[in-house]
Amino acid sequence: MLKVKNLHASVEDKAIIKGLNLEVNPGEVHAIMGPNGAGKSTLGYVLSGRDGYEVTDGDMTLNDANLLDMEVEERARAGMFLAFQYPVEIPGVSNMEFMKESVNAMREERGEDPLTAAEFLKKAKAACKQVQLPLDFLKRGVNEGFSGGEKKRNEIMQMILLEPSLCILDESDSGLDIDALQVVADGVNSQRDGKRSFIVVTHYQRLLDYIKPDFVHILADGEIVKSGDASLALEVEKHGYAFLGKKYEEAEA
Amino acid sequence: MSQWLNQVIEQAKQVDDYLTPVRQQALKTLQTEGWPSQRSEAWRFTPLTPVTNREVQTAAADQAGEAPEVAGLNAIDVVFANGQLVTDLDNISWPEGVTVTSLAEAGQHSDDVAAVFGQVKPQRHLFGLVNDAVCQQGIYIDIADGAQVTMPIRIVNLATQDTDAHTRVLVRLGKDARATVIEHGTGDAQSMTTAFAEYDIAASAHLEHYRFAMFTGSACHVGGSHFKLGDHAELNSTLVGYGSQLSRVDVDIHHAGEFADAKMNAIYLLAEGELFDLHSTIEHAVPNGTTEENARGIIGDRARAVFNGRIHIHRDAQKTLAELNNRNLLLSRRALINTKPELEIYADDVKCAHGATVAEIDEGALYYLLTRGVPRSRALIMLNFGFIRELVNLMPNEALREWLLPVLSERFAKMEVR
Repeated sequence: MLKVKNLHASVEDKAIIKGLNLEVNPGEVHAIMGPNGAGKSTLGYVLSGRDGYEVTDGDMTLNDANLLDMEVEERARAGMFLAFQYPVEIPGVSNMEFMKESVNAMREERGEDPLTAAEFLKKAKAACKQVQLPLDFLKRGVNEGFSGGEKKRNEIMQMILLEPSLCILDESDSGLDIDALQVVADGVNSQRDGKRSFIVVTHYQRLLDYIKPDFVHILADGEIVKSGDASLALEVEKHGYAFLGKKYEEAEA
Repeated sequence: MSQWLNQVIEQAKQVDDYLTPVRQQALKTLQTEGWPSQRSEAWRFTPLTPVTNREVQTAAADQAGEAPEVAGLNAIDVVFANGQLVTDLDNISWPEGVTVTSLAEAGQHSDDVAAVFGQVKPQRHLFGLVNDAVCQQGIYIDIADGAQVTMPIRIVNLATQDTDAHTRVLVRLGKDARATVIEHGTGDAQSMTTAFAEYDIAASAHLEHYRFAMFTGSACHVGGSHFKLGDHAELNSTLVGYGSQLSRVDVDIHHAGEFADAKMNAIYLLAEGELFDLHSTIEHAVPNGTTEENARGIIGDRARAVFNGRIHIHRDAQKTLAELNNRNLLLSRRALINTKPELEIYADDVKCAHGATVAEIDEGALYYLLTRGVPRSRALIMLNFGFIRELVNLMPNEALREWLLPVLSERFAKMEVR
């Protein structure tokens, strides 16, 4: 599904990703952990094609299509979904209008007819219910005045509606209490169908108690320094990132 | 000096009719003041070069196309094609209380027309004086006291290639009367038109007004809508401006009676190398008046907008409530807005506010929408069109709203972003 080879990327001429390799196959859940400043969020932005995040070397393909040739919206329509750590508030654009436009863009890509207002509403209501978001959130401005937990649930709601093939969750656990975490994790788990793949970016192991990863990678200073199974996450939980060297131990303090 | 103005002056000297006293006065001012220099405050950001050395031309009326259709509007249309009145006013069954006179054939109504012509429009507008001096085509609409005219009256100005045209609209709205007037101008070919409208709104009358100045390309247009409000009169006006080589509209609202209420919204949407200039002046001469003015524009590519909004509160105009706001969105690095809200207050017991903002595209919000697969052009519409749509939604006429929204969003979608 996703193949990343020797990826180098920089922001404002500062190298952040320095030779990253990652292969995600259909149905797999990969967790990417790492200390602050390792390049975790940058990875999501680079994969999704954000302006200002420049790929200086390496390759990345999604289902054999070259991501570097694709605009942000084309990557999304090719099946990539990025759940933001800090979802953007957009007053003046309703959640409903936004999602309808988005769902229909995906449908167009697949050669399907756009949904009617009634068909869309039915799907949107079901998705809201699944992540326990009140229905009136559809009418409100995108993320406008939502609490941290509501924003994260809104991200998962969008994911459910858009049915992507690769979901990148950027610190979807940050700022959540245990109940909200459970809702987010349930939403994600409901979308695991053996074909859909996930990259779960997180600082803490906690989220991985709820979303069980097949692989865990440790990202440090722009590259993956260690890979393993779920037990690696527990190790990190127990011993911190100290094994990466003194520099990270201090950063954690 | 300007060749165009010289030719217009020569043209004006040939005109001799029942409006001659006003025309002579205008001509005199034009001759003494001449063509404005670039230092002239009124034209500081709006070069007149596209017209300065223009050769005056006259295109035939039958060259002009059809009036733009507005589905469901159900209005009475009065059409000026290249400056010539092509609607047979006698063929229209006018609503009760409405008397309409062609300026060219005023006959027995000559005195009524002369009583309004040039009385509401301030004398400081150069092209208004040009219009005073040479305009022979126009209509005078008299709405009797108490008349409730529900059917909108639309005055259409069509300008085609090689046109020089000058038209006038005069409206007298009687006491307690109610009417809707739409000034709708379009043109995209090389031309120069002036269109001025004067509205004398009597006590407790209500005017719903629209001006669509949809001139693009090399269709130069300078015009104005000028209002005088009596006691308790109400004005609800919406202006929509596109840009061309030269497109300028002056609006004057004169609170002559107490407790009058003026609401004015203006929208401009400019692309390519277009220019649109809106100057508005609100005069609060008496106490207890209210004014609310919102001007909002989106400027793309190399386009330029000029906004000058002045509110003048005279010494006696106590208890005035006045608000003026101008918001702009620049879509490209080369787009330009010169905005200047001005409050001049000589009364001490008033409540006034003014502001102007200029914003650029919110990159973070745009990226967020794009990551959900929304096409870039649609995302920009969703993000930026909202504040324009808000003003469109405030237009009282539903048919106009439904016509205008897709027209504007289509224009917006074609605009180049950075």
